[in-house]
Formats: sequence, structure tokens, C-alpha cells
Amino acid sequence: MKRFLGLMSLLVLASLLLASCGGASGSHLDTIKQNGVIKVGTSADYPPFEYIDESGNRVGFDIELMEEIARRLGVTVEWVDMPFDSLIAGVQEGKIDASISAFNYTEERDQVVDFSEPYYMGEDAFLVAESFTGMIAAPEDVASFKVGVQTGTTQDAWLTDSLVAEGLLPEENLFRYDRADQAALDLKNGRIDVMMADYIPAAALAEQIGGLKIAYQAVISSGPTNIVIPEGDAELKQAIDEILVELESEGFIEALGLKYFQ
Amino acid sequence: MLSNFVLYIFQGISVTIAVTLVALPAGLIIGLGLALVYNYGGKWAARFAGIYSLLMRGVPPIVLLFILYFILSGKYINLSPFWAGSISLGIVSSAYQMEILRGALTAVGGGQMTAARAIGMSRMDAIRFIIIPQAVRLAIPPWSNEASIVLKDSSLVYALGVEEILRRAQQLSATTQQPFLAYGTAALIYFVLVFFANRGLDHLSEKLKLPTNPV
Repeated sequence: MKRFLGLMSLLVLASLLLASCGGASGSHLDTIKQNGVIKVGTSADYPPFEYIDESGNRVGFDIELMEEIARRLGVTVEWVDMPFDSLIAGVQEGKIDASISAFNYTEERDQVVDFSEPYYMGEDAFLVAESFTGMIAAPEDVASFKVGVQTGTTQDAWLTDSLVAEGLLPEENLFRYDRADQAALDLKNGRIDVMMADYIPAAALAEQIGGLKIAYQAVISSGPTNIVIPEGDAELKQAIDEILVELESEGFIEALGLKYFQ
Repeated sequence: MLSNFVLYIFQGISVTIAVTLVALPAGLIIGLGLALVYNYGGKWAARFAGIYSLLMRGVPPIVLLFILYFILSGKYINLSPFWAGSISLGIVSSAYQMEILRGALTAVGGGQMTAARAIGMSRMDAIRFIIIPQAVRLAIPPWSNEASIVLKDSSLVYALGVEEILRRAQQLSATTQQPFLAYGTAALIYFVLVFFANRGLDHLSEKLKLPTNPV
């Protein structure tokens, strides 16, 4: 038994040693450039921002934008596909170097990660079935319906903080889904009355699924859309921000928007 | 177009098989070690193995995967999602495999050990040449059950960023809005994989059967 304990403590010691030598290298950006690869997390189930097309290629507004940014950094992108709500944790834990997945800025997220300059201004939309007869004249009006939303999104936070916490929307009438397309299918099947999402993907879902329409759109919870960068990584942020300014002034981002959002 | 996409799901098969082929042996090695320690390692070692098994089996696999992946393999030990996910899954499985092997070791019976010792074999030799060969045969049927569970649980590593069958089916569903086609394809693939894995293990069990062993 003593020998066993000895072995265990040796293992613990070895892992501590391994842990301590990893941190000795240069800055994060240097490491990325040295490896020639930037690991970027995304959740490729959110057309038209990031999705897999019919031939199995990873495509979308975010995907092309990030690949262009990487090209200008002189590296290639290694895509890591994760569920949307694992992405922030992935950046925090250093599993991925950055994440692009139509992220809106929020204060809660800002406490644990940093954001690039925005590359796109998002709007929110309320999606309903074509047969929907209710009135949505202001965002708060959805409180009288069954509302669906994707977990961990800014829309989820807005519904939770502004409607549920205020007692306007009963908790049991808020339905949270892993992915936006699940909510849209439930909307079509009549299990929920309204779905709240970013405007562009909501419009794409409405067109794809059919029988759905946008009842209301405005900037409610979304707005600036940014790339997520590890907390305090000023060097990487600056490098990405500079490229974003270039891409904006060259019209690259506008062209991407025309390609994917029309 | 759609057939291309179904093909895309099929490309996940190799990932699912690879995750299973790492997780199962990893779980077997840890599980066998712990089962031996539990049965022959003395009071404290047995207690340690017992607590390990209790903890690992008392928490849902997905929770353990997140803990092992995000906390234990922090910023510095930089395993790829594939390796970290597969090994984590192996650790989850090790507790179940330990219980299977422990049961098999116990089932061989104390009399065998006494008899082996009586003809002058050392304890280690008795375990190696008398107990384990019989226990392994007893363990195959329940172990094949665990093998199919690990194969199906391999879909959990998607949460850590490994694109296997289930994740590819989700992506297909998100793009085409045809969940039945996407998940139906995934279900069929899992069923075929589990079916053949079980048939293979049944065959192995049949082949290794001893004339004296009724199992």
C-alpha cells in the first residue's frame, strides 16, 4: 500500500511539473504565429453566420471573415466545433485561442473574456407562425405568449432579466433550446407562440422552414457582434481589431454581408 | 445534395470508433487495476477503489466529462479535444468496468486461490495464472454491455468539440431542417455499430469458453 501511495504522489508531482513548464513560452499571439495556426471555436449550426453546407463544408459569414483575418495574421484557422454555450468556457480555459459565433457584447461575458471591435450590428426579431393573430407592438408584449429562445444567447438573458425576473413572463412559459433550429421547429409545430432570436438567422430560419414570419424587429438584446478573445489578451485583440478596421474600409465585410444576408 | 450530407454524417463513424477504441481500453486498464486492488490490495486500497467507483458512478457522465476536461486538464496540459474527451470517457467507464471485473474476480471463488497457494504458487502467480484467465471469461458478457454503452456515450464528447456522428447529424438538421433524416441516419449508424460490436464479443466469448465452465 505504501508503494501505491508513493506511486500516486509521484503521479501528482509529475503532473504538477508538466503544468508548470507549459506556461513559460512567449505571448499568446507569438505562440499562434509560431504554430501557424489559430484555434477558433464556433458552433456551426447557426446559418447564415456559421453552418455546414450540403456538401459538408464549413461556411458562413463568420467563417469567411475569420479565415480572412487569419490569412492576414499569416496563419490558418483550425476550427473547433463546440456547443454554443461551451464556447466562452473554451476561451476562458485556453482550449481555443478565440471564438467567432455571432457573439453579442454583454457585461456578464465581458467579465470573463474580452471582445474585439464589433464587425456587425445585430438586431433582434420575434418569429411567429404565419397563422399567429396576437399583437406584438413592443418587445414586452411577448410576455403574454409562450416564448422560445436558444440557451445562453443575449435573447435568453433579456427574456430572463427583463420579463421573467420582473414577473411579466411566467417562468414556465419560457422555453430554452440547445439550438435555434429546434426552437423554430417547435414554433412551427405550435408548441410555442413566439421565438426570439437574432434577426438575420431568424429570417433565414423563416425562409427555410416556411410557414413562419417575423412579427417584430428592433435592437433589444443584441447589437454589436464581436469576436471573443481571452481575457486580458491585449496583443491578440489589437491585431484582430486592426485587421477588422482594414476589412471594413476595404468593403470586405459589406461584401460578405451581401453574400450571406440577402 | 442530400446524399452528400448523409455521407457527411458517415464521416463521423471513424471519429466515433476512434473515441471508443481509446476510451474502452483506457477504462479497462484503470478498471482492471482497481478491481485487483479492491479484491487483493488490502483494506485501505479496497476502500480507495470503493470510493472511486462510488463517486464516478454517482455523477452523470456528461458532468464528469466537463469537470475532467475543463478543470483537470486546465490551461497547461494541452491535450487535443479528441484525446482529452476520449480519456475522460475512459475514466468515466473505468468505474463501471471495475465493478464488472470485481464481480468476475469474486465469482471465480476463494477456493481457487487456496488451492493454488496449497500447490506452492505465490499470490501474484495465482492471480495471474489462475484467477484472471477465468475471471476474464466470466466478464465478457457484462463487459460487452459496457462496450455498447461507451460506444453510445461517445456522442457526449461532442460537448468538448469533437465532431462525431451525433454532432454531424445536428449540423445536418440545422442546415436542412430535416431532423428525421438527420437523426434517423445517426440512429441507424449507432445501431449497426453496436450490433456488430456485440456480435464480435459474443463470438469471442464462445471461442474462449472452457469445457468446464458452464457460462
